[in-house]
Amino acid sequence: MIEVDELRKSYGDLVAVDGVSFTAKPGEIFGLLGPNGAGKSTTIGCISGLLTPTGGRVRVMGHDVVRDGTAARQALGVVPQEIALYEDLSATENLHYWGGAQGLRHTQLRERCQTVLEATGLLDRANEPVKQFSGGMKRRLNFACGIVHAPKVLLLDETTAGVDPQSRVRLLDLVREQASAGVTVLYTTHYLDEAETLCTRLAIVDHGKVIAAGTLEELRAMMGERDLLRLTGVFSSAVIEGALKQLNGNQADGIEVVSATGDQLTLSLSGAARKLAAIFNAFEDVGAEVRGTTLTQPSLESLFIKLTGKELRE
Amino acid sequence: MTLRFILTCAWKDLLRARRDPFGILVWIAIPLILGILITVVFGRGEATPQGRLLVADEDDTFVSNLLTGAFSQQPMSKMVFVEKVSREAGRARIDHGDGSALLIIPKGLSDAVFQNQPSRLELITNPSQRIVPNIIREVLSVVVEAEFYLNQIAGNELQTFARQPGSRVPTEAEIVSYTLAINRVAGSLRPYLNPPLIRLETTVAKANVSGKNLGAILYPTFIFMAVVFSSSALASDIWKERNAGTLRRLCMTRTPLLAFLTGRLLFVVMVFGAIGMMGVSVARWLAGVSVANFLGAVAWLVFSGVSFYLLLLWLVLHASTPRGANTLANLVVFPLSMLGGCFFPFSQMPAWMVRIGSKTPNGLAVIQFNALLDGSVDHSQLAMAGGVLLLVSALAWMLLVRRLQRFVI
Repeated sequence: MIEVDELRKSYGDLVAVDGVSFTAKPGEIFGLLGPNGAGKSTTIGCISGLLTPTGGRVRVMGHDVVRDGTAARQALGVVPQEIALYEDLSATENLHYWGGAQGLRHTQLRERCQTVLEATGLLDRANEPVKQFSGGMKRRLNFACGIVHAPKVLLLDETTAGVDPQSRVRLLDLVREQASAGVTVLYTTHYLDEAETLCTRLAIVDHGKVIAAGTLEELRAMMGERDLLRLTGVFSSAVIEGALKQLNGNQADGIEVVSATGDQLTLSLSGAARKLAAIFNAFEDVGAEVRGTTLTQPSLESLFIKLTGKELRE
Repeated sequence: MTLRFILTCAWKDLLRARRDPFGILVWIAIPLILGILITVVFGRGEATPQGRLLVADEDDTFVSNLLTGAFSQQPMSKMVFVEKVSREAGRARIDHGDGSALLIIPKGLSDAVFQNQPSRLELITNPSQRIVPNIIREVLSVVVEAEFYLNQIAGNELQTFARQPGSRVPTEAEIVSYTLAINRVAGSLRPYLNPPLIRLETTVAKANVSGKNLGAILYPTFIFMAVVFSSSALASDIWKERNAGTLRRLCMTRTPLLAFLTGRLLFVVMVFGAIGMMGVSVARWLAGVSVANFLGAVAWLVFSGVSFYLLLLWLVLHASTPRGANTLANLVVFPLSMLGGCFFPFSQMPAWMVRIGSKTPNGLAVIQFNALLDGSVDHSQLAMAGGVLLLVSALAWMLLVRRLQRFVI
């Protein structure tokens, strides 16, 4: 179990994590979503003991990560975003090293290495130097090194970043296997489709704060049945105001402006497909130039855009 | 558990070094290659070059013996062995490169000298040798000139002495008579010689240079150069670990970074041990360096190397990029090496530089290393140098432990 309570981490005046709270339970895959720089990796750093929190409390399997760090880290397996492996060593040698760092020895270490090599499909390449592996194989070994000591809590930081589709499917299966074995999994990603299919509960983080949390259904409900309509072109505030006034007069009311920049306008509305013609006419009448349109059905992504005003990968 | 992980860390570094051996091997090979080259070029043993002078003495008189006798006096007798040969045999041998030079003394040399007639000595040198034939030529020129002046001053007395039949030993009266005659000549020259216009002051040179070959002088320097450069290379390796993310990952395990650092230090000890064993062995058996205390010298090398490593490791942790780390390390390594006897031996450096260099950590280490090699260890000096290096190591270790966590993040 991971309990994060009012976690805060700042570097001088810069607040990287600002009062983040959530709980991830055994057997659960808890997703932490957010764009780059939102504070996900800092949160992971604080949970793993790499960073010392400025405030709040983090407990892993009941152990405070600051006061009882060794016990907390013993229960923890971390798969970092970067491929943190020794490229000159073989897969087995890497696993022996990382297993040794987590206190495994002798027969237990050998058996666990064998098990995770089998699970990640690397058994036949176990004795080759890692530098000869493909990117996907390195990702799988990176994962294997995080679970070699059979941790009770697993932190996965962008585990599938830059992975080929086959390796990605295999890695996601491995994550599910861990959860079904009762492991608490904290999964950070900015692939929303992954989060939707994998996570039982989610927290959306932006600017160091949790801006929404709950199950996928709960989060979808927050979005309602509203679509997101994104227009690209040239939009001044006067143009937007004029167009919305005209639309409300034409019974296209209930349109909300999610975000507006000079060249992009995002609107939230229900039944957007039926109102497209009226919307185009209104913008044309006020002299706006619309060059492109994207319509997004209610989803995690549309919720994220609605909550943060930007896409997850921005 | 931690002890086990320390060994695991050291083993991991050994495996990495084995898979990519060139980084370390280059530093181990440097003293070996330099030592072999020096031995090949300058030979082993004492610095004095040695050669063989073949003499075809067809005159075989007092004068010709006087001429070759110069080579039987110290220090020439250590440099040049004189071997009497016939003209033909000598010529054949020198043509085959056997010998440094062939001196042909023609029959009638003695008569020509006493009658102030011109005479000709023939010296054939071996072109494959450069130093000894030149020495022979110079010595012969001096001796020929000396004989000329001697003949001018005491020619009559020498003639009388030289004309004695070869087998007859002069009587005591005759010896006294010659001695008095030569003394009279010397007395007549006294006004020109006394008081002496030039006063000769003799200073006995220190024994550290003389009696050692070039390898013995330079080799300890090369070994230390290898140790200092290896320290720098090994210290910079921490940047590879940082960039790979392995150090960050280790911080997220139950194992403290201190265990990693200790494991790395164990590996460094093994590397310096290998460099020391290899370097001192080559010094002893190939370069002809006298090694009074083999194990002591190797142990001192390892101990000093660990100090430099810790110091440089602490230093490179302050850089912001791997390139910056290399630059920072070089900024310290090169001046310290040049001053501290790791580029040039102290015996070849100006006194002011030696005064500064001998106060540097590597300078202290080099001096004691040399003392361990040639058996001139002053135990109080050794203990003092050891204390300084220990202090440097302890300080660097403490600062390192404090700095490493910040470096990793």
